[in-house]
Amino acid sequence: MAEVRLEGVHKLFGSVVAVEDFNLSIGSSEFVVFVGPSGCGKSTTLRMLAGLEDVTSGSISIDGRAVNNVHPKDRDIAMVFQNYALYPHLNVFDNISFGLRAKRLPKDEIAKRTNEAAEILGLGDLLKRRPGELSGGQKQRVAMGRAIVRKPKVFLFDEPLSNLDAKLRHKMRAEMKILHQRVQTTTVYVTHDQVEAMTLADRIVIMNEGHIEQVGTPDEVYKHPASQFVASFIGSPAMNFATGRIEASGKTMSLRTDSGTSLDLAGCGVAEGTMVQLGFRPEHMELADTAKPARGHVSIAGSITVVEPMGHETVLTCDAGFGEIVGKYEGERRFQPGETVKFHIRADRLHYFDLKTGLRI
Amino acid sequence: MTDFWNRLTIGQKLAITAWLFLAIPLVFYITIRFYPTFEAFYVSTLKWNLLGAKKAIGFKNYIKIFADEDFWLVLWNTIKYALVGVPVSMLIAFVIAYWLNEIHFGHDMIRAMYFIPFLTTAVAMAWVWRWFYQPLPIGYFNIMLSWMGIPQQPFLKSVTQALYAIMAPAVWAGLGFQIVIFIAGIRAIPRSYFEAAEIDGAGRWQILREITLPALKPTMIFLTVVSTIGFLRIFDQVYTMSADSAGGPLNSTKPLVLMIYEFAFDEFKLGRASALTVILFMILLVVSLVQLWLMRKHK
Ligand SMILES: Nc1ncnc2c1ncn2[C@@H]1O[C@H](COP(=O)(O)OP(=O)(O)OP(=O)(O)O)[C@@H](O)[C@H]1O
Ligand SMILES: [Mg+2]
Repeated sequence: MAEVRLEGVHKLFGSVVAVEDFNLSIGSSEFVVFVGPSGCGKSTTLRMLAGLEDVTSGSISIDGRAVNNVHPKDRDIAMVFQNYALYPHLNVFDNISFGLRAKRLPKDEIAKRTNEAAEILGLGDLLKRRPGELSGGQKQRVAMGRAIVRKPKVFLFDEPLSNLDAKLRHKMRAEMKILHQRVQTTTVYVTHDQVEAMTLADRIVIMNEGHIEQVGTPDEVYKHPASQFVASFIGSPAMNFATGRIEASGKTMSLRTDSGTSLDLAGCGVAEGTMVQLGFRPEHMELADTAKPARGHVSIAGSITVVEPMGHETVLTCDAGFGEIVGKYEGERRFQPGETVKFHIRADRLHYFDLKTGLRI
Repeated sequence: MTDFWNRLTIGQKLAITAWLFLAIPLVFYITIRFYPTFEAFYVSTLKWNLLGAKKAIGFKNYIKIFADEDFWLVLWNTIKYALVGVPVSMLIAFVIAYWLNEIHFGHDMIRAMYFIPFLTTAVAMAWVWRWFYQPLPIGYFNIMLSWMGIPQQPFLKSVTQALYAIMAPAVWAGLGFQIVIFIAGIRAIPRSYFEAAEIDGAGRWQILREITLPALKPTMIFLTVVSTIGFLRIFDQVYTMSADSAGGPLNSTKPLVLMIYEFAFDEFKLGRASALTVILFMILLVVSLVQLWLMRKHK
């Protein structure tokens, strides 16, 4: 268990900026997830933590010790790779115990710890098999075994579940969580799957184009996205946006959208004249019969273009005049394309982002 | 015709197209390669001096060869070339490839330097080496020995040293090829294996033993067979470099191919030469079959 700190970390590949001014401090036993679109620098940051990539500038410390110039093997970390990197010529036992043999531990100690790890991961019967004879989920477990057997200060995971099918991913996600609760090792986990991020993380780091957009608990990034990017990245289906200008007539505020429609906004704190992106989540849109919203609600109408029944809920894609919006409905009602529907949204569930900077207002 | 073609499945069309392309090399191989081989089997049962009449004598050529003391010496020489040359050249090639893979600066140039001997005529190189082996004041090796205060060596003139002196340029000439193949093999190992091993704290030796070498097994089987066959067929270097007579001194460097050459073109014993060719062919066949078997087992 150890703290990890990254201060002003930059990474350049030639002239390509892969990571830019990365500041983060990770607490002991914390499970931190890096999430972001492809190419945003997640792996690069993780590899710098591991010591597989040099840091261009800034400093990284593990457990209070600066490790910029420390060899990977002396950082006391373990890493699980996306392709697992299991050694194909060694059997499961030898794969898991590889790091212990590197440390030249006594034979019986190696056997004891390896069997222990195999037991935790349910690999007891597979110890004699080669990686080529394992299923995806089993390989994934061996890779985790190789990490936990060394009892390192920090675990690093680079998209460890992305090669598994949806069902297995779900299962392994749960196992990962149980494992962390059990060993309590500080963990940095990279994924581009926001569901994985939300379910696993103590704190989420959302990255975009090499920099951090927001750091926060899953609840924080969901409820108070710091930028339009975060708002659009977290949540499924994604948040809806309307772009326009805030106008005021007397006490009532409204959004004059680019396409000329006007949306009445109940009690909005944004200054008149500001260009904004207004955001609201599909799951916060309640289907309503009347156009007139209740107090403290905003009403949006649209005509249905696509109906996607999912069993327990129905996802409705609608043309709202200013653009396309996606709403969710839980109930028995059936819908037809072309039908006009009205949604009411609680005003305190609207998000305002500055159009220029993308930052939350 | 088009009707016939259209009725075929995609798999059948593919097979026919592939066979059409393969037909040309196949015909070539059968006429240029296989036919002479079978002809050699036939000639090996004849007494024939190239000009006179052919006389069928059954297995007499083989019996004579096996009764000939020189044959056993020559066979042993040939095996020594392979037995020493293969492991030595593979070891040197692997060590060079291993370290060459670690450097980036000048990598291509150094690799090219090792590869050039492979492209050079064996005879020309052998002449240069022959010159290296000369006594003082000409031969480089003896000059170096005298600098170091070590007594002069006879090299090509010694019954015990000549074979190894001739083997050296053969090893050297093959290095480039082996290095390139080894580097390709090393490069084909996914980088993440090495990264994972590095993080796990493995040292150079553990990585080499548990990751690199096992992954290179197919490469090594391939190179072993190719260079074994190469050494078993050694000829140019011996013919060019050996002292006294070809294969000398005292036949101590003579390999099978040189013996075949002498039977055929010095003594015009075509039958005997063919029989010896058949024996060499059998040896090479066994080596190749062992490779096939090893490769298959490895999969
Ligand atoms: N070795 C390299 N040389 C040059 N550029 C690189 C190198 N590695 C990464 N990059 C660049 O750095 C940026 C960040 O890459 P990185 O692999 O960290 O992305 P990522 O967030 O892990 O993406 P993904 O989700 O696709 O794995 C990308 O623009 C990538 O092209
Ligand atoms: Mg990545």
